[in-house]
Amino acid sequence: MTASDDEIFSALCELLTPFNSNNVELKLETEISTDLNIDSVSVMDFVMEVEDHFDIDIPLNVLSDTHTMKDLVSVVVERTS
Amino acid sequence: MRSEIMPGGVSGLGSSDGTLQYTPRTNPGLRQVLGEFSTLTDGLDYAARGITGFNFYSPRGVLAHVLPYWELREFALSTGRRLINSGLKRGSRVAVVAETGPEFMAVFFGCQYAGLVPCPMPYTMHIGGREAYVERIAGMLRSAHASAAVTCGDLEDHVNAAAAAAGVDLVLTHEQLQALPEGDVELEPFRADEQAYIQYSSGSTSHPKGVLITQRAITANTRSILQHGLKIRPIDRAFSWLPLYHDMGLVGFCLSPMMGQVTVDYLSTPSFARRPALWLKLMSDNRCTVAYSPSFGYDLAARRVNAAADDLDLSQWRIAGIGGDMVRPDVLNLFSRNLAETGFDSRAFLPSYGMAESTLAITFADLEEPFRVDVVDRAQYKLSRRAVPANDVKKLDPEKVRSFVVCGRPLPGHDVQICDGAGNLLGDREIGHVRVKGPSLMAGYFENPAATDDVMLDCGFMDTGDMGYWLDGQIVITGRAKDLILHNGRNIWPQDIEWAVEQVAPLRSGDAAAFAVESADGQDAVVVLVQCRLKDELELESLRRQVSSVVHRTSGIECEVVLVPPKSLPFTSSGKLSRAGAKSRFLSGDIAEIAARKPAVAPVGPLELAAAS
Repeated sequence: MTASDDEIFSALCELLTPFNSNNVELKLETEISTDLNIDSVSVMDFVMEVEDHFDIDIPLNVLSDTHTMKDLVSVVVERTS
Repeated sequence: MRSEIMPGGVSGLGSSDGTLQYTPRTNPGLRQVLGEFSTLTDGLDYAARGITGFNFYSPRGVLAHVLPYWELREFALSTGRRLINSGLKRGSRVAVVAETGPEFMAVFFGCQYAGLVPCPMPYTMHIGGREAYVERIAGMLRSAHASAAVTCGDLEDHVNAAAAAAGVDLVLTHEQLQALPEGDVELEPFRADEQAYIQYSSGSTSHPKGVLITQRAITANTRSILQHGLKIRPIDRAFSWLPLYHDMGLVGFCLSPMMGQVTVDYLSTPSFARRPALWLKLMSDNRCTVAYSPSFGYDLAARRVNAAADDLDLSQWRIAGIGGDMVRPDVLNLFSRNLAETGFDSRAFLPSYGMAESTLAITFADLEEPFRVDVVDRAQYKLSRRAVPANDVKKLDPEKVRSFVVCGRPLPGHDVQICDGAGNLLGDREIGHVRVKGPSLMAGYFENPAATDDVMLDCGFMDTGDMGYWLDGQIVITGRAKDLILHNGRNIWPQDIEWAVEQVAPLRSGDAAAFAVESADGQDAVVVLVQCRLKDELELESLRRQVSSVVHRTSGIECEVVLVPPKSLPFTSSGKLSRAGAKSRFLSGDIAEIAARKPAVAPVGPLELAAAS
């Protein structure tokens, strides 16, 4: 992981904090929809926060292939570069 | 920000400074005709004589595409020629991913001009949801015997995978379709006695049932909606974030407005899900007068609007329709409270009832009246199948009453009956099966005579599968019949159990499924599947106890609480919980308890129950 990936991961963790009500420890391999106690509406809310923070759009097809935090970091890297 | 990507060389309306201008609400010099047409193409030919039409907003609420009806007609004609020129035979089915945008509209209406049957398909909206989506689309393609599938470029891989699984050879992206030559094609639009489209709103994800709608049904239903249900006027402007693959989005907010030359402003469903308050902001900016949503949409918007409400003006909103799920009075009250500052008038709420099998609408409440809530005695409702008004003492205790929203009168030309199990007509406040008859009924489930025969009765009525009662000539829907749980001779509506369970923290709407399984002694044993993301055993057991206790409190029955992983519960393609699907997956062991240990209150396990049934 490059420094930039690290930064993105920490930023994502911070954005997730308000949604992570059970304080699940966030790792790269954490499954966003199943490991965290987040309902589907809150997931969309979180996705909006990510989009606004990084000023990117995450299309639905990309979202459907995003499972883990690591996947999400890659999506952000790809779409900000 | 001019529209650039409209294939087919069509551009949006531009003003002199290059910015997009949305279509106006009224056609100067063109008389508004409310659905007096015999086919969809007749309706579009007429609407194309004016300058009203569709406007599409970006996820951040910026106007992205403008498609007046005259431009839609040209776009549809060229698209229809391209479809026929690609080798499709008249009458064959064209599946199309129903993203909210000009391209979907061109394919849907292009099929109407070309005599092809469009089948709107959903798109994926879930994080990590690819596999489930591909499976669902494959099921629909098979059921429709589709000859072609058309998709946006983003979902090309997904749709290709589904098409391969379903044996559909021709997959086109919108870009590929629009790059095909139009050729020398003579279009033969659907005639008034032919089919119109197939709607996938029914059946489970694995066995979807395609509702075949005829030109006669769609023109009858849109005419009734425009003239009687909504009483549309030239000053109306509609707004919709509803998905176009669902009957309320497609019929209510695409086909009906077009058949009445009404302008519609669209926000896509995923955009709404991300920013629910945009719905209200755009309605305020554009002074829209008509919008519809299921209860949950009002709930979401009311909770997320926050301080933004101060800047909104919703005083012009005259029809805030509710449909698509059980209308919930508490949600409507919350919305009215949170939006009080905006001038929103709660008399705008318009409860209604309908289903894809009857094109869309069956009943509408009175436009001029505030919505009416009938509060009935819960004990009597369960024991006697009668909806008896609760007395003032019981009304103080929410556990002793049930509140139902009154959904109005049948549309003219449509007949609704409420009957007991033997087919005898029931009177006021007697709960029975709801049947409907009239010109809006579907032709049947596409190439599925068994499923069609199950609902189409010899007397010409269709069994809606819903239970309800009459109240002063208006209908009240109490729930689905087929999911009814019979427990010790009592009728228990699974919705009652699920609603109660979903109030337990941290559960949400859609996290519970209740159904009956036959136990060893031939009695109905009630199983409640509860989706949760908890892992800790103590927390799991605590949740199990709470659920069991709330079920006991609200329904007075012992149940088996099975805690299952998130996303275990199956939903129909229209987003309704499939209790039958949940039950069969539970009995087959596909859905199983998270915790390794046996549930504390389980009288018998799923295997024993399966063996007994």
